[in-house]
Amino acid sequence: MSATTAGQKGGLREREGGKTFQWVSGIVLTIGGLLFLLPFIWMILSSFKPEGEIVQIPPTLWPKSFTMSNFNYLFENMNFGVYLRNTLIIVLFSFAGLLLNAVAGFGFAKYDFKGRNALFVLVLATMMIPSQVTMIPVYLILNSLGLTNTMTGIVLPGLVGAFAIFLFRQFMSTIPTELLEATRLDGASEYRIFLQIALPISKPILAVQAILTFIAGWNSFLWPLIIANDESLYTLSVGLSLLKGQYAANFGLQMAGATFMVAPVIALFTYFQKHIIENFSISGMK
Amino acid sequence: MKGFLNKQAPYVFIAPTLILLTLFSIVPILVALAISFTDMDLGGLANFRSISFIGFANYAEVLKDPVFLKAIFNTLFYVIIGVPLVILFSLAVALLINLGTSRIFKAFRVVYYLPSVTNIVAVAVVWSYLYNPAIGLFNYILNSVGLPDVPWLTEPTVAKLSLILLALWKAIGLNMIIFIAALQGIPKSYYEAAQLDGANQWQQVTRITIPMLRFAIFFVSITTMIGWLQFFEEPFVMTQGGPLDGTLSVALFIYQNGFKFNNFGYAAAGSFVLFVCIIAITLIQLRLQKNESDMT
Amino acid sequence: MRKTLAMITTVALGAGLLAGCGANKNAEGGANAGNGGKADEKVTINVWGMGEEAKTLPVMAEAFKKENPNITVNVQALPWDQGHDKLLTAIASKKGPDVIQMGTSWIPEFAEAGALADLAPYVGQYPELNPDNFYEGAVAAGKAGDKYVSSPWYVETRVLYYRTDLLKEAGYDKAPQTWEELSDAAQKLAKRGDGKYGISIDPKEQSLGFMFSRQNGATWFTEDGKPNFSDDKFVEAVQYINSFYQNGSAPKDLGLDIIPAFKQGILPMFISGPWMIKLIQDQAPDINGKWTIAVLPKKENNISLLGGSNLSIFEYSKNKDAAAKFIAFMSKPETQVKWMEQTSSLPAATAAWENDKLKNDEFYKVIGEQLKAAQPMPVIPEWAQISDSYLKHFEVIYRSNADVKKELEAFNADAAKLMK
Repeated sequence: MSATTAGQKGGLREREGGKTFQWVSGIVLTIGGLLFLLPFIWMILSSFKPEGEIVQIPPTLWPKSFTMSNFNYLFENMNFGVYLRNTLIIVLFSFAGLLLNAVAGFGFAKYDFKGRNALFVLVLATMMIPSQVTMIPVYLILNSLGLTNTMTGIVLPGLVGAFAIFLFRQFMSTIPTELLEATRLDGASEYRIFLQIALPISKPILAVQAILTFIAGWNSFLWPLIIANDESLYTLSVGLSLLKGQYAANFGLQMAGATFMVAPVIALFTYFQKHIIENFSISGMK
Repeated sequence: MKGFLNKQAPYVFIAPTLILLTLFSIVPILVALAISFTDMDLGGLANFRSISFIGFANYAEVLKDPVFLKAIFNTLFYVIIGVPLVILFSLAVALLINLGTSRIFKAFRVVYYLPSVTNIVAVAVVWSYLYNPAIGLFNYILNSVGLPDVPWLTEPTVAKLSLILLALWKAIGLNMIIFIAALQGIPKSYYEAAQLDGANQWQQVTRITIPMLRFAIFFVSITTMIGWLQFFEEPFVMTQGGPLDGTLSVALFIYQNGFKFNNFGYAAAGSFVLFVCIIAITLIQLRLQKNESDMT
Repeated sequence: MRKTLAMITTVALGAGLLAGCGANKNAEGGANAGNGGKADEKVTINVWGMGEEAKTLPVMAEAFKKENPNITVNVQALPWDQGHDKLLTAIASKKGPDVIQMGTSWIPEFAEAGALADLAPYVGQYPELNPDNFYEGAVAAGKAGDKYVSSPWYVETRVLYYRTDLLKEAGYDKAPQTWEELSDAAQKLAKRGDGKYGISIDPKEQSLGFMFSRQNGATWFTEDGKPNFSDDKFVEAVQYINSFYQNGSAPKDLGLDIIPAFKQGILPMFISGPWMIKLIQDQAPDINGKWTIAVLPKKENNISLLGGSNLSIFEYSKNKDAAAKFIAFMSKPETQVKWMEQTSSLPAATAAWENDKLKNDEFYKVIGEQLKAAQPMPVIPEWAQISDSYLKHFEVIYRSNADVKKELEAFNADAAKLMK
């Protein structure tokens, strides 16, 4: 009884003749899934098409002739190595931000302190203004701190975010207070309660947030471009956008760039859901 | 000392985050608020001394601007149709996937999640092709079953719906994994107890699953609402607000005025009108939720 | 709690003050920055290039460094779409590049904001920068008032692309010479059958309406500088463009990329810039020899658009002299020819057109001829917004066949409001 997985739950139901249900939902999901995948299939297949074929009418789905030239060109002509390194650095830093968000979410969820609601509304308010409006003020602040054209300047403004704090708060609210009280009576400090109780229980949501963090870092675009005065600080997304401008008519190359950006995310997500989301234990919640 | 630290724990927990948020969100918002009362343009950006305060003139003007009013109408259209669809579909997909027993269901998570992670540049290229009036896949499919062409992006109302469809495709995955994470947090013992009482699958879903998900539903509905009120990327890459301003959203209006035409004061005023609307709607939501289940 | 609040307030105020101080300090720094960078000093200049150009700029930077070993050129590539945002932050912080590539449409607004240095003081030292060396229209586009804020780099102009084989079938042995012929040819071509058209007129191209109206002899502004876009000449021109959509010789929403459509003969004519030459050659090699380009058909005149990019010195640069030297280098006819070979963008320096490669090429000959009749759009800061407003009104006209005169009067009123 230590793990809840879809498989075990379903196993109980099969007895109730849920087989039809399984089939129906499987078919519904398959049809929906195919529609969802269509744009990807087209994107990936297109990245292997030679330039002439991609603009052909009527379009082909399956490439008549496969070519790797788009990918080769991508690596020979763009600094994708440097961009990849920068992107990974940003991702790494944003994981530090992830912990800050978790800890703040915990604070808002499980403590009753003066001004909590007001402060929380303040946090929420920060996600209600379009980011374009605050871009120039943020830039001026970073400039006065001497952080333009630095990795710190790129990472810092996005380190914490209202969405993540809200997500953590929302899920940590479901941790039974009695559980925390019991640990407190055992003499644990608040910090230990967070590390040993709250964090492990929140694993599923940590995993979700980790994926979101990774993707945000992976796709970070406008800010690196604005802060960097040096191409050695560019990220993959900036590279992709340069590619779009420099080879505007070359769809194959753009598709190859886009494919290159999505593939690692697919790999990561597959890994995550296999090893982390499925295997967490929620015994603490019983 | 330890006791003191323990007492201050909640503040210690939230302090680093609040400091960063203050510095990079709240102060900039206040600066933007100040800008909204000025006539700041590109010249003002270069030389702050040339900026002058003009009171509420920007607000008065933007609220009279027919383009802005149209953008508000469009945004409400997006929100009213899009938000319920996102919640409904992502919840349905999450439930179906979670109830599935076969291994294939695990693969569906990746499938439905993929659109959320795709770079917007790639999304734009692919979907422009799908919606293309001449060689687009959608019209091709319609024609092959004997239906006429649909003006996907060239008729104002249809274009709005087309963008909603695209946004739906992009948004389901993210909310779906939040729901799945929440579903997995529901203790199995609840279901077992219900089964002992003879509840069928549908009853289990409505009596246990949905109520247990209310924190997640609340979260998804608030963030989705806020996100859709700031609907930007889809019209930005697909239509630039056209045809005939039919897909122009408030956020895109703000962007175009601020960054294309350098009317920073005017754009800031527009964004505070949006800000006030979002706050009001969110507070109403918070209040409703509070009355319903006393959970905030 | 009170402590927390106090702390937050302090931080907030501190940040605000810091931001304020920083900005002031920078403003002074900018004002004091002289024309540093003496000839023998080692300096590094930063060059911001946009889009396609930035890809090849490093090659030129290398060549420049060979001639001037004490100056290192650092090229930063920016995507066009975000270049504007990036320049805004550079202006706000008074920190940025030394040399910027400027699309001609950006020059007025950035010049008005004082972000571009006057090049006049450098003309004596670097004769390559002399405005007489360049196409007149390109120089006009690079000026803000009387101030010479940017030096022409490369130019482009719009010409007529057409399928010689299909036009021949429609009875045209050469390109349409006049507006009437263009309209007639387009209608004949459209009659070839369902799904065939005569010409592509991109309804999202902001400057086409202005270009046609100028060909019709319209003056865009009255003598006292007020917009004059509902004048009969202007109305006539827009009615002319609209007729293509209404009689079905130009598609409203075709959704095809121009090159495949051109290749298949769906759109046998279109108006575009010189960059299309190479694209057609690369993407549709099977129609080589079946298409060519021609100067635009004429009404009262056939003045085309003049666009392109200029190079400017950022006002807050500390190495203005080295920056001017770099721009002078880029303006040399030899460099410009070399640049053309690398990027196929056209030299702005007239002397470069004496080069055999340009003189003997069938396509470049036509473009060179059109360049003699090519003028930029008005050099006023509000232009971006005015032309955007035009597009919106034009959309109403061609989609719902609205009354042209009435719609243009509304547009004129909008333009007057923007210019006040």
